Amino acid sequence: MPELSLKGFSAGYRRGSAAISGLDFTLPGGEIWGLLGPNGAGKSTLMKGILGFPWLWRKGSVLADGKPFEGFSEREKASLIGYLPQDPPVPQGLTVTETVLLGRHPFRSPWATDSATDREAAKEVMEECGILHLAGRLTANLSGGERRMVFLASVLVQKPMILLLDEPGSGLDYRHTAMLWEILDRLASRGVSVFASTHRLAMAGEHFSGAMFLSGGRCIAAGSPEEIFTPGIMSAVYGIPLSVTRDSGAGGWSVSSAGDR
Amino acid sequence: MKALRWLVLLLAAGIAVSAVTGPMGSSAPWSVVISLRLSRTALAILAGASLAVAGAVLQAVLRNVLATPYTLGVSAGAGVTAGAVILFGIGISGYWACLAGTGGALAATLLVTTLAGRGSREGSTLILAGVTINVLGASLLLLMEYLSPASRLMEIVRWMMGDLAAAGYSRVFYLLPFTVAGTAMVLLRTGTLNQMLAGEELAETRGVNTRRERAVMLTASAILAGGTVGAVGPVGFVGLVVPHVLRRITGGDCRRLVPLSALGGAVLLVWSDIVSRIVVSPGELPVGIITALIGGPYFLHLLRSGPDHY
Repeated sequence: MPELSLKGFSAGYRRGSAAISGLDFTLPGGEIWGLLGPNGAGKSTLMKGILGFPWLWRKGSVLADGKPFEGFSEREKASLIGYLPQDPPVPQGLTVTETVLLGRHPFRSPWATDSATDREAAKEVMEECGILHLAGRLTANLSGGERRMVFLASVLVQKPMILLLDEPGSGLDYRHTAMLWEILDRLASRGVSVFASTHRLAMAGEHFSGAMFLSGGRCIAAGSPEEIFTPGIMSAVYGIPLSVTRDSGAGGWSVSSAGDR
Repeated sequence: MKALRWLVLLLAAGIAVSAVTGPMGSSAPWSVVISLRLSRTALAILAGASLAVAGAVLQAVLRNVLATPYTLGVSAGAGVTAGAVILFGIGISGYWACLAGTGGALAATLLVTTLAGRGSREGSTLILAGVTINVLGASLLLLMEYLSPASRLMEIVRWMMGDLAAAGYSRVFYLLPFTVAGTAMVLLRTGTLNQMLAGEELAETRGVNTRRERAVMLTASAILAGGTVGAVGPVGFVGLVVPHVLRRITGGDCRRLVPLSALGGAVLLVWSDIVSRIVVSPGELPVGIITALIGGPYFLHLLRSGPDHY
């Protein structure tokens, strides 16, 4: 099961100003970890930095499966790490199937048509994400939640072993949120490592094996949910008094403003 | 594919009708048909295909379906440099006009994408930047016209309206390498072009070097549009109407859309040329007037129907 580890990792958009600085972190194989922190903490930049987008600078090392990430070929990278941006542009004129098939690009020549293997792989992930019935619809005409599932499927069709998801649950209703975490649980049980940023612990927290709090580009705390979802840490991270409770039955977390009581 | 069959049929019919259309009708001798009529049909095919492919590429790379060589001012940029060569480079080969057109198109592409900025190119900023370049280019062309000797005025004015009238095949051979090179550059990366539709970030994670690919594709569209402007003048709206209509029929997958656009552009320009020869027969209209009469209202219709219907 491939781990993702960062050593002395810094990244940013402008030279001389680091959005992420000196991070050491290991995402264990086959686990779901949350990435939390206030707006502007650097959660998105961290993910983009790990992926090595050329419009960011980065320092330190990113090891995937124990080897430097930049040492892998493009094709290997695509099947090693899959990334779901927060709000990717909707591909105009593409159907759901065509959008999902975009994820097969690394595995064929840049002008190739879809092979039977490609189509089979797409069908499989569309079934997994519950969007097979939307196959022929235009992605642009779907609701926000359905679209999110389509993009998730287009990432899963790369068959990545590590998933970086930037606020995968934002804008999703209860049904789609539950579907999303069910899918991620299934993937984790198959050995996929998931790193998902989120602002809400509700419906997400109980799926985390661990989480990291990021603030001002630095890791404030990292560990198991029981260790770090505490009123002390959360109040310090978000700068307001918060109370944190855990549902004794389902294990879900809820957070509320401590001033309410 | 139904669309492919229809386009091939329409193109074949266009070539046949073009061969019997002209002041002498179907009684024209073969020499006239071959040297005057089929040569302009060949020019229309190359120019139409080039402009439509350039349009399809710009729309995908910039993720803006209003982006075309004409609306972005790329044609205007090409018009300034090619116009200068035509006016002041008396006696040099028309090939240089195509080359100068490509240079002007590249410069305008660079200028308009820089003006619009990286983040704002999905909105109307890009089109506004294009309008600015268009106005600038048009003024420079007018200035050149003003400064040009009366003896050359007619030639440059006809060229500016989009002119397919040709005696012989020289312009066809000038344009051919631009059409072939530009189209080949695009056809080899239609799957990559699809990746651009879902944004640079997802494309990067799928092994696309987005900066390089974007530069290559913008260069290809400049070669296509610039070469065409150098050969036949700034013919507008082919790059807007053709990819847009075809996207509605066959969808936005560039692996289909780009080759079909090439065919569709050829069909549109061949038939526009036939119309331009019929309406004021025995005279003829510059073909750019016909495409503008089709494309202008279509552009307005797109603007009115809003971004969701692009």
